[in-house]
Amino acid sequence: MSGITDMKISVRQICFIMLAYTAVSKFILYPTALSFNSGRDLLFSSLIDFLIQGVIIWAVSFLCSRTDKTFFKLIEGTLGKVVARIIYGLFALFFIVATVIPLFEQKVYVQAIFYDTIPSLLIFLPFFAFSVYAACKGFKNIGRCADVCLPLFLVSMLFIFAMSLGEVNWQHFFPVLKTPLNKVFGGSLITAFRFVEPCWLLMFMGHFEYKKHDALKITLSYAGGALFTLLVLATFYGIYGDIAASRQFAISKISLFFPAIELIGRIDLIALYILEAVMLFALVINIQFAVHCIIKCTGYGNRAVLSLAVNGVLLIMLIFLNNSLDALLGIWSQWMWIAFVIFANIIPLLAWTMRKRDKNEG
Amino acid sequence: MITLEKNVKSVKDVLTSEDIIVFEFDSLGGKKFAAIYADGVADKQLLGELVAKPLRAVEKDASLDEVKKLLASPEVKDGSKIPDAIKEVSDGNAVLFVDGEKNFFIIGLKKPPGRTVAEPPTQVTVKGPREGFTEDIKTNLGLVRKRLKSEKLQIKMLKTGKRSDTAVALVYIDGVCPEGLPERIEKQIADNEIDMVPDSSYVAHFISKKPRSLFKRNGTSEKPDIFCAKVSEGRVGLIVDGSPIALTVPYMLTEDFQTGEDYYAMSYRSTILRILRVMALFVGLFLPAIYVSSQLFKIQLIPFKLLLKISSSIAGLPLSPSVEMFLVLFVLEVLNEASIRMPKYVALALSVVGALVLGDTAVQAGIISTPAIIIIAFSAICLYLTPDLVETTTTLRWIYLIIAGSIGPFGIVLFSAFLVCYLVSEQSYGVPLLAPFAPLIKNDLYDSMVKANMYALKNRPEAFKVKDKVRLKSK
Repeated sequence: MSGITDMKISVRQICFIMLAYTAVSKFILYPTALSFNSGRDLLFSSLIDFLIQGVIIWAVSFLCSRTDKTFFKLIEGTLGKVVARIIYGLFALFFIVATVIPLFEQKVYVQAIFYDTIPSLLIFLPFFAFSVYAACKGFKNIGRCADVCLPLFLVSMLFIFAMSLGEVNWQHFFPVLKTPLNKVFGGSLITAFRFVEPCWLLMFMGHFEYKKHDALKITLSYAGGALFTLLVLATFYGIYGDIAASRQFAISKISLFFPAIELIGRIDLIALYILEAVMLFALVINIQFAVHCIIKCTGYGNRAVLSLAVNGVLLIMLIFLNNSLDALLGIWSQWMWIAFVIFANIIPLLAWTMRKRDKNEG
Repeated sequence: MITLEKNVKSVKDVLTSEDIIVFEFDSLGGKKFAAIYADGVADKQLLGELVAKPLRAVEKDASLDEVKKLLASPEVKDGSKIPDAIKEVSDGNAVLFVDGEKNFFIIGLKKPPGRTVAEPPTQVTVKGPREGFTEDIKTNLGLVRKRLKSEKLQIKMLKTGKRSDTAVALVYIDGVCPEGLPERIEKQIADNEIDMVPDSSYVAHFISKKPRSLFKRNGTSEKPDIFCAKVSEGRVGLIVDGSPIALTVPYMLTEDFQTGEDYYAMSYRSTILRILRVMALFVGLFLPAIYVSSQLFKIQLIPFKLLLKISSSIAGLPLSPSVEMFLVLFVLEVLNEASIRMPKYVALALSVVGALVLGDTAVQAGIISTPAIIIIAFSAICLYLTPDLVETTTTLRWIYLIIAGSIGPFGIVLFSAFLVCYLVSEQSYGVPLLAPFAPLIKNDLYDSMVKANMYALKNRPEAFKVKDKVRLKSK
């Protein structure tokens, strides 16, 4: 019984996840990559991705109004248990792949903003202790962490925007839409691997009680997350203009020019450190889903062992590819986006074609 | 024929201690009686007045029923088994044997020595009731009854401790308290067998599902008004004989940021004070760690002018920032411990020696810096704003300091995230420890970090899932 209740999450908590985690997972190198590819029209590139994901999220959340089955049960009911297990196995792999870039980004971000001199990789390794612990927990824990994270996110964002919006030069965005369209769409495509939110919702499916208008609430929350991301993008590009493409870690750079910083020091770092806690939860959620998918795939229920295994794989990758973020970014943006489009966009839409009710149900 | 001597001998053979007194007396009619009691625990004066005096005046050979009618004590029970008599005498009551009778009377004369009701030292109030619990369970239950006159008030008496046989009163309001909760607590207590229960903290361990955790799972109170308020919200209260600290479950972490006075003062003022307590806790917990990690790993965290001040005061120090902070914190903990354990007047002198001589000399000698002392002193003061959490927060401060000195600011954030992840999963008898924040319970937020006006608190906390939800009805 406790196992069942451990996997329950509320719609409110899903909304919080969609709002906060969506945004924070795109604050580190995403703005730099978009500035490089789409230039002053980076907002349009981002908007395209968010619109596509928003529609898919609406579709998945609306699907939840038609069935109370989990995604696993949905596949099992249509294609059989073996196929369901295979798909969940692939999803586990996908979530591990989806963690790689955010993990490496997080490492370089931590090294850059938490330390004056670039420290050894060892400094970042305690993250895995936290990750192993967090991945042992069920959806209930994920939801409650989101309850804590949302106010932290809002407060730190308010703080950061208060320090940065005044420094934005909106002229950097003009003339609008003069960037070649292939660059705008190309920007959307090569950053597509950063959008996995529909998969999160797919995993939550059947684990929450759907009530009227919940699909709208979830989609609007996602739109809220998108709005925060777009605001950060706008602020970042508005401050740095064309040189934004050479500035990494956007969120830590936008409040640098606040006049009071010279007098009272880097107080923006306090907000960034608070935001980092939210980023850690946003990063770990993919690992939590990977563990969940392996449990479903294998039927092996020891979360601790599986959490150790998944984190072990990521740890080994991090150690061996420590200085290979650029290469990884190249591979992910050139090739891996296909996998992301399949898992985060096509499969969630295909879920609509599956049998939503059993034959004996009304 | 059962003789009086035989009955008395049966008890005395077991209770061989010299403070077990046998008081033998005859009535005018020649009937022999023997009262056995524990000296110092039973009330001798009442024994004389309510038992011996009326019985001595009897001129005829009275039967057992007639003897019972003559006893003026309001608390008289019949007994027939010698082990029961032994238990009652040990408990502080008197046992009266009548010559020629197998049965006996248990007379409630328990009056152990103890303090009178006074203001508790841990929960002093400026505005509001000043009565505090004492070590006597009967007095404490009286203080509760005085405030909760409801016919629904239930007091279940339990015993715990193999040798101490300590009384524990389970206090709850029928119809308000969540169903099955008193039974669950009763079972938790019954599942533990220990020699002695000297204090309620032992029972707190018994009723906790995770006794090794750094975070407690029960609320505590030394004031009957707070205790009764918590019980009337749907909690179960536990009063343990010998302890002035009463326990309440379920427990939420937010309780420790609230004081009794919050409910007697203006809600605006209470809200400000609650926010202040939360901020003070975070400052007390993080300030030493942030100071150390900013010096070691991220100097930009410190404002430039302050940095100049700090650099001038730490110039020439032989210790690294983390070792320095450890040293100062170590001295603080030693002084704190010594001032509590030492006699009052020595402690006063000690604080002068500690604060002025030790601190000032150490700074002048260039062993430690002034900012380190200021930070630790301020941190200590901040943490005492939430006294019920001090055991946890002072331990966490050590952990944060170790992390700050080794991993730096990222370690602080990481450990905080770990704590959040841990705390959101923890619960006390089904109530999440971080409620009403995680999970978010909108209506309960009005009495959390914010203290809304009384009229906004019409319902009992939703987190407890109580049967009778309405607390206040107003026209």
